[in-house]
Amino acid sequence: MKNLSRNPDIVWRVEKRREAEIIKALDAGEDVSDKGSVILIVSGMMHQLNLVGGRIWTLCDGQRSLDDLVEALSGEFEVERGELTGDVEAFVDDLLKRGWLKYA
Amino acid sequence: MPDAVTELFSAPLTFNWTLSFRCNFSCSHCYSRDESVDELATADILRIVDILVEKQVLFINFGGGEPLIRDDLFEIADYAVGKGLNVSMNSNGWLIDAAVAKRLRASGFHSVGISIDSAEPARHDDFRNRPGSFDRAVAALEHLRKAGVRTTMSSVISRINYCNFRDLLDLARDRRVAQVYLHNFKCSGRGFKNRQDLDLSAEEWKAFYLEALQVKQQTGDLLISFDDPVISSLPGYDEKSLVNGSSCGKLSLHMRPNGDITPCGFIPLVIGNILRDDFETLWYDSPILQKMRNKEASGKCVECGAFEKCLGGCTARAFAVYGDFNQPDPHCWK
Ligand code: SF4
Repeated sequence: MKNLSRNPDIVWRVEKRREAEIIKALDAGEDVSDKGSVILIVSGMMHQLNLVGGRIWTLCDGQRSLDDLVEALSGEFEVERGELTGDVEAFVDDLLKRGWLKYA
Repeated sequence: MPDAVTELFSAPLTFNWTLSFRCNFSCSHCYSRDESVDELATADILRIVDILVEKQVLFINFGGGEPLIRDDLFEIADYAVGKGLNVSMNSNGWLIDAAVAKRLRASGFHSVGISIDSAEPARHDDFRNRPGSFDRAVAALEHLRKAGVRTTMSSVISRINYCNFRDLLDLARDRRVAQVYLHNFKCSGRGFKNRQDLDLSAEEWKAFYLEALQVKQQTGDLLISFDDPVISSLPGYDEKSLVNGSSCGKLSLHMRPNGDITPCGFIPLVIGNILRDDFETLWYDSPILQKMRNKEASGKCVECGAFEKCLGGCTARAFAVYGDFNQPDPHCWK
C-alpha cells in the first residue's frame, strides 16, 4: 500500500499546550471534535485540525500507509476499528482532494 | 492568564524582525527612519533564531530599515532556513542586483517583497527621496524572478497612489509578481509627522476599500492582500481568520534591532527583550498584549454591529492618534 505524505508547501505546527488540554477534556468525557490542535497555513490562509485530524496529519510523514495510520490511531483512541477506518479514510480522502496530502 | 488567543496559540506564527533601523533611503512615510538603537552581534541573532525555533514560530519576515544593510543577512537567513523557519523579507530593492538575487535564492528565502509606492517612476522617486529608485526596484523584481525567488510587491496606500492603485496592480502583473500587499497607512514615525499630507480621510478610505475589494474579487491572476481590520464592516469582505481585529500581538510580534519585542512595528511599546526575558511569560502575561487582545468597545464602536470582527480597527493607529488602544480607528468612516 502506498504511503501518505503532506504537501510540503503547507506550513504547520502542533499546538502542544492546547493538545494536552484537549486530551484532558477528552479523558473527562467532553466532546472535543471542534477543538483545533494543529494549525496549518495553506496559501496564506489559516486552518486548524482537531485532535484526531491533527494526529493523522502528523503521522502522514511519507513513511506510513492508510492501514498504518489506522493501526497507530487504534492504540491512541478508544473507537471501534471499523468506525475508525471509515473516519480515517474519509478524512484522508478530503485532504487528498484539497491537495494537502498526496500518496508518496 | 489564558485568553482566546493564547488558548490556541502558544507563540505567534510570525515575527516581523527589524534587524537594523539603518537604511539607504529616507522615505516620507517611514515608521522607523527616526529611530536608532544598538544592533545585536551575529551570534546573538543566531541565538534568537534558536529561541524562535524552540517556540515553534513558523515565519520570520525581515524588514527595516533595509535588511540588506546588514552584511550578515545571508548568514542569518541560511541559519534560520536550515532550522526550518520560513524566511522572507521586505526591501526597497536598491541593493538587489543579479548576484544578490542569486544569493537570496541560495539562502532559501521563501519570498522577497519590494516596496513600490507608485507606478509612475517620478512619483515613486520623489516619495522615496531617491532618484532612480523606481527603476532599481523594478529591476530588483526582475533579478529576483530570474533567480527563481518568489516576489511580492508592497505599496503603502496614501494620497500619492490611492486613485491609481490599479496601475500598481498592472505593474505587478507585468513583472510577474505573485502577490501585492496594499498596506494601510500607519500614523507612526515619519508617517505620523507627514500624516496631513499623506493620509486619506475616513470617507476616502471607505471609497478606496470598496473599490479595492471589488477589484480583488474580480482578479484571478494576482493575489491581492490588505491588512486592515477596519474593512471587515464592508460588503465584499469575506475573509475568515482565526482571530478578529488587528493580528498584531496575536498572530505576529515585532522585534527591534536590539531584541526588544513590540506588538507590531507601529506600536512603540516594548513588552520585553527576547534575550533577557522568558518568552512564554511575555507571550502569556504581558499586560500590553493582554490589553490588545481584549479590546473594549468605546465611542462609536459601542453601537457598531461590526465590532465583533473589526474590534475597533487598527490598534496601532488608535494608539498613535489617541494614546488609547480602545479608541475607534481614526480611519473608520462609521
Ligand atoms: S465603529 Fe469601531 S467597530 Fe465599527 S467599523 Fe468603526 S472601528 Fe470598527
